[in-house]
Amino acid sequence: MSSVFSKAAQERIPGIIARYPEKRAALLPLLWLAQEEQCYVSEEAMKEVAGLLNLTPPQVYEAVTFYTMYNRRPIGKYHIQVCRSLMCALVGTENLLGWIHAKVGIKVGQTTPDGLFTLSQVECLASCGTGPMMQVNDDYYERLTQDKVDRILDDLKRDGKCPLATGPFMFPEPSAK
Amino acid sequence: MADMVNILIDGKPIAVEKGTLVIEAARRLGVMIPHFCYHPKLTYDANCRMCLVEVEKLPKLQTSCSTVVAEGMVVRTNTPIVNEAHQSVLEFILANHPLDCPICDQGGRCDLQDFSHEYTPTTSVFQDTKRVFQKEYFSPLIEKEMNRCVQCLRCVRYCDQVIDAKALAPINRGVMTEISHFGSHQLDCEFCGGCVQICPVGAFVSRQSLYEYRPWMIKRADTTCGYCGDGCALTLQTRDQEVIEVMSAYGEGRNSGDLCARGYFGYQYVNHPDRLTTPLVRQADGRLHPATWEEVLPLLAERLTQLKLSHGAETIGGLISARCTNEDLYLFQKFMRLAIGSNHLDSTARYGHVNAARALRRVQGTNRWTVSYEDIVQADVLLLIGTQVTAANPIVGLKVKEAVKKRGATLLTLETLVPSVETTSNIANLSATHLTVPVGRHGAAVRGLVKAVFDENLVDTGLSARAGDFVQRVRAAAASYPSDLDEATLRTMVKTFAGAKRGVILIGQDLLQAPGGYESAVNLLDFLLLIGRLTQADWGLAPLTEENNEQGAIEMGATAEYLPGPADLGDPAARSRIADAWKEEPPTAKGMRLIEMLDAARAGKLKAMFIVGENPVRSLPASAMVAGALENLDLLVVQELFLTETAKLADVVLPACSYAEKSGTFTNSEGFVQKVRPGLTPVGDSRPDWEILSALSVMMGYPLEYGDAKEILKEIRAVIPGYRVLGAMPEPAKADTSSIELYVAGGFAEDLAGRYDQAGSPKADGQRWSLRIGQTLFHSGAMSTKAKGLLELQKEGKLIMNPADAQRLGIAEGDRVRLTSATGEATVPVTMLGRIPEGTLFFPESFRERLSSLASMSVDPVTGVPYSKHLHVAVAKVGSVGSGGASAGPPSAGIVGGK
Amino acid sequence: MAQHEPLLLKNMAQPGYRGSLADYERAGGYQALKKVLGKIPPAEVIEMVKKSGLRGRGGAGFPTGVKWSFIPKDHPGPRYLICNADESEPGTFKDRQLMERDPHQMIEGMILAAYAISAHTAYIYIRGEFALGARILERALAEAYQAGYLGPNIQGTGFALDIHLHRGAGAYICGEETALLESLEGKRGLPRIKPPFPATHGLFQKPTVVNNVETLANVPHIVNRGPEWFASTGNPPKSTGTRIFCMSGHVKRPGNYEVPMGITFQEMIYDIAGGMRGDKPLKAFIPGGASAAFFTPEHLNVRLDFESVAQAGSMLGSGGITVMEEGTCMVWAAENLLYFFNHESCGKCTPCREGSPWLLQILRRIEHGKGKMDDLATLLRLCGNIAGRTVCAFGDAEIAPITSTLRHFRDEYEAHIREQRCPFRPQPAPELITVGH
Repeated sequence: MSSVFSKAAQERIPGIIARYPEKRAALLPLLWLAQEEQCYVSEEAMKEVAGLLNLTPPQVYEAVTFYTMYNRRPIGKYHIQVCRSLMCALVGTENLLGWIHAKVGIKVGQTTPDGLFTLSQVECLASCGTGPMMQVNDDYYERLTQDKVDRILDDLKRDGKCPLATGPFMFPEPSAK
Repeated sequence: MADMVNILIDGKPIAVEKGTLVIEAARRLGVMIPHFCYHPKLTYDANCRMCLVEVEKLPKLQTSCSTVVAEGMVVRTNTPIVNEAHQSVLEFILANHPLDCPICDQGGRCDLQDFSHEYTPTTSVFQDTKRVFQKEYFSPLIEKEMNRCVQCLRCVRYCDQVIDAKALAPINRGVMTEISHFGSHQLDCEFCGGCVQICPVGAFVSRQSLYEYRPWMIKRADTTCGYCGDGCALTLQTRDQEVIEVMSAYGEGRNSGDLCARGYFGYQYVNHPDRLTTPLVRQADGRLHPATWEEVLPLLAERLTQLKLSHGAETIGGLISARCTNEDLYLFQKFMRLAIGSNHLDSTARYGHVNAARALRRVQGTNRWTVSYEDIVQADVLLLIGTQVTAANPIVGLKVKEAVKKRGATLLTLETLVPSVETTSNIANLSATHLTVPVGRHGAAVRGLVKAVFDENLVDTGLSARAGDFVQRVRAAAASYPSDLDEATLRTMVKTFAGAKRGVILIGQDLLQAPGGYESAVNLLDFLLLIGRLTQADWGLAPLTEENNEQGAIEMGATAEYLPGPADLGDPAARSRIADAWKEEPPTAKGMRLIEMLDAARAGKLKAMFIVGENPVRSLPASAMVAGALENLDLLVVQELFLTETAKLADVVLPACSYAEKSGTFTNSEGFVQKVRPGLTPVGDSRPDWEILSALSVMMGYPLEYGDAKEILKEIRAVIPGYRVLGAMPEPAKADTSSIELYVAGGFAEDLAGRYDQAGSPKADGQRWSLRIGQTLFHSGAMSTKAKGLLELQKEGKLIMNPADAQRLGIAEGDRVRLTSATGEATVPVTMLGRIPEGTLFFPESFRERLSSLASMSVDPVTGVPYSKHLHVAVAKVGSVGSGGASAGPPSAGIVGGK
Repeated sequence: MAQHEPLLLKNMAQPGYRGSLADYERAGGYQALKKVLGKIPPAEVIEMVKKSGLRGRGGAGFPTGVKWSFIPKDHPGPRYLICNADESEPGTFKDRQLMERDPHQMIEGMILAAYAISAHTAYIYIRGEFALGARILERALAEAYQAGYLGPNIQGTGFALDIHLHRGAGAYICGEETALLESLEGKRGLPRIKPPFPATHGLFQKPTVVNNVETLANVPHIVNRGPEWFASTGNPPKSTGTRIFCMSGHVKRPGNYEVPMGITFQEMIYDIAGGMRGDKPLKAFIPGGASAAFFTPEHLNVRLDFESVAQAGSMLGSGGITVMEEGTCMVWAAENLLYFFNHESCGKCTPCREGSPWLLQILRRIEHGKGKMDDLATLLRLCGNIAGRTVCAFGDAEIAPITSTLRHFRDEYEAHIREQRCPFRPQPAPELITVGH
């Protein structure tokens, strides 16, 4: 039968399941794996994961819909997630949304016509001292200014990555003292 | 007592068992604490926060549904703070509630409505936007209105904890939490109706009764379900001569509120427009014409009397459905034996249950279970052999699930269906040890179990000492493991089972309705004897019955070989007891059983048959040539609800009442006798079966007169010693030690030689698939196919195959295949299910007429049971290349048995 | 500015320290493990931690050693240790730093904790958004296995421990320990009804300890420098040790600062975080994450320890201090936080599920110039009906911003209603959502 998992991903599955004494516990990791494969968690993926873990599809579906990070439909190549919680809002979430709109013309919930960027607002990403900030796919971008946002989005569009992404986090950096 | 805890609730003292929840303790005092999410069947979730109470010394209010009593606890359920808490929870719920009571079916029996009435003002300060869930189509039978939902998750928990279907899921989160199935797919589940019944508000309602009534418009009749042998308590809710809805209350009957799809949604055949409403008589034009009872009864009495006089009583036979009440069955056999004067009578218990009854009587002296449903729930090990319990006996299935899921019992399954998680439950999924037994190989598995008793040295030492010969000869007889079943697994099962504190073996149709069913049942009793458990309390062999009153049919004497009791036809004590009650001896000549009667009819030796509620033309395959046999009769009388295939052949058709229109009793699988009460007056001119027989007997000059069904029950009690009184709890029968001693002393030997061999060896045929005609969850017998709701769930017979097999054959859902057997061929649509083992096919029995030409029949030489539900067929996809399509064999040559 | 010796942040402050195993070992790492495993009985390790006075750094501040001691000694089956790395409390970003810059410090703490409670399997539940943190931890765990600090026979002592990394997937509530357990079991992250507590019925219904990242990171130091030393630091006897406070909002130098407990907010905000960023004076601050009640300048002399903050009417919580300058609209701030809480309410119990959107809608109306004076009484009444009546502490958390701003800034609410507009924000934020999310 066909699978949503690539061969390489399929090989990882037994090891993931083996981390837990009960199969169901492997649900979140396998959904992550499915999302890595498809960029979202499709119904086919949910059914397949259900089969792998002896769950019914509704048991998978209830988890997928509870957690915000599983995309339930395909989204843009770069998922821009802007923190809107108070700490970032105090230092300029609204500006940040405006800069993004000015640069790529999308508002929250929209995807650029070229399918490159999808903009979401999310809750606190534990970057409160370094706001305003956004996460694009796995990477954090912090202490944002309009210039930085322009450069990040340009870099991503051109190179698929941007050196402004935060590395291992420490703030203030020791050198700043 | 040490295990009792004393507490004070609202100033009233009560002592309750340790571990009791405060809400339950209060209930016992008559103090009702309002709640939504709590239900005694479910583990508490304490999510609705409605049941908050004050507990002295605790700073916060406590949820009484999750608070366990402690010695000296002082609880207050009715203080200003508590009332204010109730009010505030209701205020929160009502903020988003649509307040659509005028169009809500729950109106009038809604917990939210009742509590609101009691605790809240009629106005709300909420003035913002209410949450709105978009309405979506949910299922053909269950309507979902999420805006009414209080998110108590009773439905979800019931579906998981009780049913083990896990078909409902709470999705999204926070205030947008709603109950769903999977994506936007419509509900695919067992349709037990549990979510509708357990919903405290109108979030789930039945579409069958949507907008039909208000609770105060309907009449209720507490009765017993007429589908399977589980014997569920059911309340018929009727209005204007129509069953509008059924329900089953928590704590009532053997099912305590749980039902299956047939029980909850399958009642509509009662009001089906095709019900027979007048007698029909075949006229000179060869057609059936309506007639009145006044015309038809004297005519019939005369014809029967004439036949009796001209050909003798032994040329008249009778057949009755085991779906009839005890009173119908009893009077039928009395009518046949006295008014007709013949022992040629049979009931549909012949299709399999006689195998079990005979085996139990032979070894343990009673045909009854020696255990009850409570023993199943309390058992620490359960062994299921060929039960397909979820489909065939869903409520017994729930008892098994309760034992396993709630009480941690160990489940062992020797079943044909393989573990596979789908949104209908599958008992093998709960199994600690499962062995997939190919169709027809359950008897072989039993032999393997007996063999393993010896190999694991588990023979009861007392038995060895007392009946060494029995032990040695059984050891020799059960000499080998079946080659197609894993020996190690069988041995593990036997070790687990024998090592338990209390255990029950459940057997069902796959074992009892297959060749060797009787012998296998005896062998299982050998098994219990050998491990020293047959006479122990709480242990036993429990055969499950397909029809609701097969147990009653045997006990009422509605088979050729048994008098009421059941007692052997020649048993002098029974005969004299019966003669006392009847004022006449029952006939002594051995009676013919069903297949013998049909053979005799075909041979011209039987001249007339009186058939009540059974349709053998449909129940038996074409190769049995039932129609030809019946057409050969001088007189065929059929007493029925519908003009069935058999009724169409009749000379006289008599309209009978359904169970919803009559009084009486049913005896369930475990031997519990329960009341049947009418919810409707008889449809048209139909009459209860017993009443028709009684009227006819009067006209025939053998007046069997009774004022009502109760009078018949009174006679039944006089004739059948100790016949079960109706009560809250059944008291299981005890194995009769003197019978057992007779059996081990020599009784066992009469057929031992063949008894363990009959299981034989697996049949290998590379081109033939094993096809089982069996029961499905949504249908049982033919009545269910007249129930609109059940037809919405399953409207036709589809061949079910494993998805991998289907893929291999290039078959997609809905494709059609041609099945060919030695006797004929048939074309049927295909569907797939993961629990059907590869290489095996399954077809729903309720639509078996589609396969009528395919099946052959064999008859049990001992018990006369006709076997026709297991066939071997070739499969070809219709429309594939080649003339008539290429035929494909099963996945591997021969029969596969695996873990 | 007062100088404080950092404990947990010490290694990473060294130039060139990258948090590798070699770095950590060079800085004295895994010495505690070597002192303890196979040498000190587990029960004594628990005693040490009890004696140190270490309290949980995740929010509730429960004494760690006591928590460990609740694990039944004679339980035959497995027991589990879980590191709660689901750092999601708005205003808090310390665990992220501890994990990404010095992962072995936490891993060593986990090994010691697992040893103390005789757990042989441990999980790190890390919030899904920390993809980088997860990669760093995966690498660190691999290093630790490689070096024999994890696995079937750690350093030849016979003690076995596996640590698995488990990523969450976006749900604030999973920071609540029983919701975390449900989530780890593959279910929706709904808090469980307590009792029973995780110590007896935790992960897979087995005895389980759940500790925060910072809590566990302290353990090697307690072993290395002795419980007595630890118990003498901070503000003994009830608030021992340092804490990492996360400074955010309108301060000059936001960021993570590790200080001994017991300094004042005045010192924290003005000395350590550099004071207010612009010319505007301090208006309010949240002392311990979004779940903590707002403080005002009159609370600047309150000490940063568990008891002092509680006595002053709020909580030390997760250590996230968010500072707001004059001109910040308190109704807007409360609305923003309620938006968060409404988004994150799991929906299990009625008061929180139904109350959150109601509170949010009232706040939104007031902020957008459509409030009524009656709304203030309704807000307080609804908050009162949520307080103490929910399954978990989320209910108490979500009302804190409302009740505290109403207590300290009622006039501001009244001004919104009287003027039918926000006095601070001429153009209110666009409505981003309707009910729900």
